[in-house]
Amino acid sequence: MSDRAGSEPAFESSVLRAYAPGSSNALTLSDESALAKTIVRAEAGSPASASLAVSFGSSRREGATLVLGQRPDEYMLIGSAQSNASIVARLDTSGHVSVIDHTHSRALFRLTGAQASATLEKVCSLDWSNAMTPDGAVVSASIAKVNCDIARNDREPVDAEPASASPSYLIACDRSFGQYLFDALIDAGGEFGIGVVTAADGLQE
Amino acid sequence: MTRNRRLAPQIGEVINRSAPLGFTWNGKPLTGFVGDTIASALVANDVRVVSRSMKYHRPRGYMTNDFWDPNAFMQVGDDPNVRSAHRLLEGGMAIEAQNVWPSLDRDIKAANGLVKRFLSAGFYYKTFIRPQTLWPAYEKVLATFAPGGTVDLDTPHGYYDKRYAHPDVVVAGGGPAGMAAAIAAAQSGAQVMLVEHAHVLGGHLRWGSIADRALADELAAEVHGAGVEVLTDSTVTGRYDDNWTAIVQRSHPIAIERLIKARAKTLVVAAGLIERPYVFAGNDKPGVMTSGAVRRFVNVHSVRPGERAVVFSANADGDAAAADLERVGIRVARVVDARAGENVIEAHGNSRSVESVELADGSTVDCDLLVTAVGWTAPTSLLNMAGDRPSYHEQSARFFGSASIDDVLTTGGIAGDGSIDQLVEHGRLTGRLAAARAAVIGHQLQAATARAVEPANAEPAWPTDDRAPLDRHAHPELFRSSTHGIVDFSEDVSSKDLVSAANEGYDSVELLKRFTTATMGPAQGKLETVNTVAVLAEARGETIEQVGTTVWRPPYAPITLGALGGRVFEPVRVSSIQPWHEAHGATPILAGQWVRPEHYGDPMAEVRNTRTNVGVIDVTPLGKLDLRGPDVPKLLNQLYTNKWSKLAVGAVRYGLMCAEDGVVLDDGVTARLSDDHYMMTTTSSGAGSIWEWAESWLQTEHPDWRVHVTPVTTGFTSINVAGPKSRDLMQRLVTDIDLSPDSFSYMQVRSGTIADVAGCFMWRIGFTGELSYELHVPAGYGLHVWKRLLAEGVDLGVQPFGLEAQRIMRLEKGHFIVGQDTDGLTKAPTTGLANLIKLDKVDFAGKAELAWALDDDTAPVLVSLQPTDPRLVPDEACQIVRAGTNEILGRITSSLMSPTLNRSICLGQVLPHVAAAGTELTVVLVDGRRATARVMEHHAHYDPEGERLRV
Amino acid sequence: MLLVPCPNCGPRNAADMRYVGESGPRPDPNTATPAQWRDYLYTERNPAGLLRETWYCRSGCRTFFVVERDTTNNQFVHGPTRVTKLGGKA
Repeated sequence: MSDRAGSEPAFESSVLRAYAPGSSNALTLSDESALAKTIVRAEAGSPASASLAVSFGSSRREGATLVLGQRPDEYMLIGSAQSNASIVARLDTSGHVSVIDHTHSRALFRLTGAQASATLEKVCSLDWSNAMTPDGAVVSASIAKVNCDIARNDREPVDAEPASASPSYLIACDRSFGQYLFDALIDAGGEFGIGVVTAADGLQE
Repeated sequence: MTRNRRLAPQIGEVINRSAPLGFTWNGKPLTGFVGDTIASALVANDVRVVSRSMKYHRPRGYMTNDFWDPNAFMQVGDDPNVRSAHRLLEGGMAIEAQNVWPSLDRDIKAANGLVKRFLSAGFYYKTFIRPQTLWPAYEKVLATFAPGGTVDLDTPHGYYDKRYAHPDVVVAGGGPAGMAAAIAAAQSGAQVMLVEHAHVLGGHLRWGSIADRALADELAAEVHGAGVEVLTDSTVTGRYDDNWTAIVQRSHPIAIERLIKARAKTLVVAAGLIERPYVFAGNDKPGVMTSGAVRRFVNVHSVRPGERAVVFSANADGDAAAADLERVGIRVARVVDARAGENVIEAHGNSRSVESVELADGSTVDCDLLVTAVGWTAPTSLLNMAGDRPSYHEQSARFFGSASIDDVLTTGGIAGDGSIDQLVEHGRLTGRLAAARAAVIGHQLQAATARAVEPANAEPAWPTDDRAPLDRHAHPELFRSSTHGIVDFSEDVSSKDLVSAANEGYDSVELLKRFTTATMGPAQGKLETVNTVAVLAEARGETIEQVGTTVWRPPYAPITLGALGGRVFEPVRVSSIQPWHEAHGATPILAGQWVRPEHYGDPMAEVRNTRTNVGVIDVTPLGKLDLRGPDVPKLLNQLYTNKWSKLAVGAVRYGLMCAEDGVVLDDGVTARLSDDHYMMTTTSSGAGSIWEWAESWLQTEHPDWRVHVTPVTTGFTSINVAGPKSRDLMQRLVTDIDLSPDSFSYMQVRSGTIADVAGCFMWRIGFTGELSYELHVPAGYGLHVWKRLLAEGVDLGVQPFGLEAQRIMRLEKGHFIVGQDTDGLTKAPTTGLANLIKLDKVDFAGKAELAWALDDDTAPVLVSLQPTDPRLVPDEACQIVRAGTNEILGRITSSLMSPTLNRSICLGQVLPHVAAAGTELTVVLVDGRRATARVMEHHAHYDPEGERLRV
Repeated sequence: MLLVPCPNCGPRNAADMRYVGESGPRPDPNTATPAQWRDYLYTERNPAGLLRETWYCRSGCRTFFVVERDTTNNQFVHGPTRVTKLGGKA
């Protein structure tokens, strides 16, 4: 038991309810909150910023970490704790650079499937088309009235044909909103038969 | 005797005769078919009178037989104001007439008609405005006569939906030109949304000739083939800045109604034309209909709207209606040709139907159906909303858009006249132009948006509009005959009313509208605006152009409040311990967005246990801002009124924040965790706004300061461990922090491992006034630490306590709460913390006002109060007055029963001359009784020296 | 709904923003007279025409920026630019 002295505590997500399986696997939602999240604050043009090598609004894969340019002077690393730590360890922190562990601050979900964009259209006013929000795009927006950081991180290349397109979005919000937002996404995806699936172990290829 | 008015099967009818549907009309069982509207089913069953008019309760039948029919409102089950000429029939519908009593056929309210002259224009204004004291009585009487259906307050909230969309082109209207525009735009590569008001595409082709209907099907198939998103039974109901359009989708598989907020790059308005009724005596008798109404009944739903018709025609549509009637065997007794100068003077009839028509040539023709085809109203609402002010074109007797708007184009009847082929061709050109312009706008958006794909090509040139304009065919100007009749059928306003209102001086169209309520009913001007303007122009002896029109505003078609609300988004926050609280009998309370435990059954016992043993409370909502950088002290000095330059590592300090007007904004403590790393706390409700506020100072006033502010409120589960035995408890869970009082004293902070969880920090502060440790634990381990605290402290008597116990303990200690004991006028000196206002700092938020406020000896003072009767707890916000008078001296801001002192205790704001300790004050209770309370020496009712928390 | 040009994100819905208000310098709190200070706090010029105003990209990049908008037709004429020294009024 985790509440006994000396035992290693287990990380608990904000999403604790149990969900019935969805009617199709065309649209899935998973809770990825256990992934490590690290905030790096560094001015554009600083050595740290240069080594992270993503511009605002985009993302880049490095090892088992996805590096997000989510503010002009703010980056988020999502991945395994070791991978994030190794990127941070290599950072040139000269100047004004801050590194903040956000693993516990943010709930993190992954919404995947051909209808993922249509689902987001029901809870968010942004344009989720391939032209405006392509794979790799990073944006902050209000989803179901909760401020979120979103990264489009497709699991396989999106073909030109909409039928085989499978966009995937990583959605981070304040941990305390986690259960609410998870349920809001389930409700929004209901018309597309959304189903809850188990999180992958680490950032998916 | 009820006749079956269903025609023999017709080519092109939309009903399915092999699928009958049973329904009831005012309780009477009837049968219709799948594909029927309520209207066609009723008319097929020989129902002629379907409603009573709003004011005079005159019998009414279907007149325009479409969404806008002013006589078609019905109650369907618990759904009021259903537009029965639009809503499709469903099996089992219980349909009832509304605004009738006791029944449609015997309507006592029709007595209003006898006193018609008393209900003339402005009657309500003039009669009921004085004396104002009687208005509630008037209102009650008038309400029983008010039109509209019945709202069942017990109807559960249905599932509505909302969706955003970013189409390249939105086409409003699915007639021939709209469909052609949608096809052409989609073929040009645009993503197109085609919105059609009716249940199927086709527009006026649907009730046209066999060839028209074949073309409608052909175009509809092409629309679907082109990949256009088609929304039927849907209306573009508003257009706002930058082509933000509101589309109401009335039938949707998962929702009762859905609102789509579409950001259209270009909007094509192909709304068609609405047929205008004609004004003459008896024009609202059942059986008087527009040509379109008749053609929809006959051609679409195969019902006979009458047996013997007179057709008053000024155009091809009227002629076609006459031909349709004859084709199906309805006798056309006379075609009255307006183009030849013929005219209709008056319709005569009984309470059920028109019986004859008196013509200008002096003849009278018997009939039970009078068809009018006198011209068109251009529904220019969307153009108005885009800033256009349409102008009147006399030769064609209707309004046209007058402005050229880059991203709003028109096609179809609203843009001009022509053959179907010409309309379709114009539609195609419009769709192509709309797509080309959308491409440029899309290019600009993409290029300006950080996350978007960088456009590969240079921005295309702005496509100019080289469409050949549609013709404007001549049409006689026909608004009113030589007699007076109804102009606004929804509001029962006659042309006579309009003329007398104009004569009374209400002769501007905007004044006339408000005085007579013409154009203000459910039809919202679709049928009556042009006639209203024409009658006014006639009364003023001016032209329609000179009189002008009222402005059409959203919504074009009504939206239910449910659809505007959409699905309910009410975000709630919970701490990682909340499920435990719920499982352990906590009563939840919503504090801002947070669901928190108010208590676990007995808040008084929770207080006593915390004061005696040790208690734990989940204080996660406390705002927490991580501050890093060499210039954090500068920021703190800017935000707080007090000084921060010398805060030592490991120390915690209390601070007060004021806005630039000197009003208390927030308060809390900030700790210095290491050289360049601080942790600020704010009130729970201030967490978001103080973060923005800090950012505003950093970004706008002091961009040179090197500080990173990061909100971490929910990254940490915060637990306050309070009580005389709290140190004993903490010692069992902490190994790497020295908890001895000398090493870790009051107002200090330490980082370390708690209950095997690394990365925690805790500080000694005291909202409860007890020795206490506030723990901040990485949230994913919050529940673990909470459980460990309770498990390890069993023998110490550890118990959780909730928000209520905390509020009691803080009031016992006299701590004020920003927003409860202060309000939007409370400047910092009122709180008694004037010593925290450091005017010798170069700058801080609110400095100027606070300097002046410190010299103000008239501002209220926050004091502790104790009622003379220790069992009396005055309600919060009770006024404090001068004894024997109603002169207000202050108010109670907080009051509770203290289990520790076994008496009631309060905080209040009072004027300075009655703020001295020992002053007896009079408190007015909610029930009007007066009680006394005494001003206390200290804010703290309990342990004023703070000895308990410094141990 | 108005599309407001954020210098970082690009055009975004006004609902994604917080309207801060008309832009103007913050007086020196040490020398301002009460009249000057209260003019800064409460007076809006509200012109029919060009207006320099501050927005905050609340749901997006969390940047304060200044634009010039024509209040007669809601067209953004100049900007957006990052704010510097334009008042901490929030």
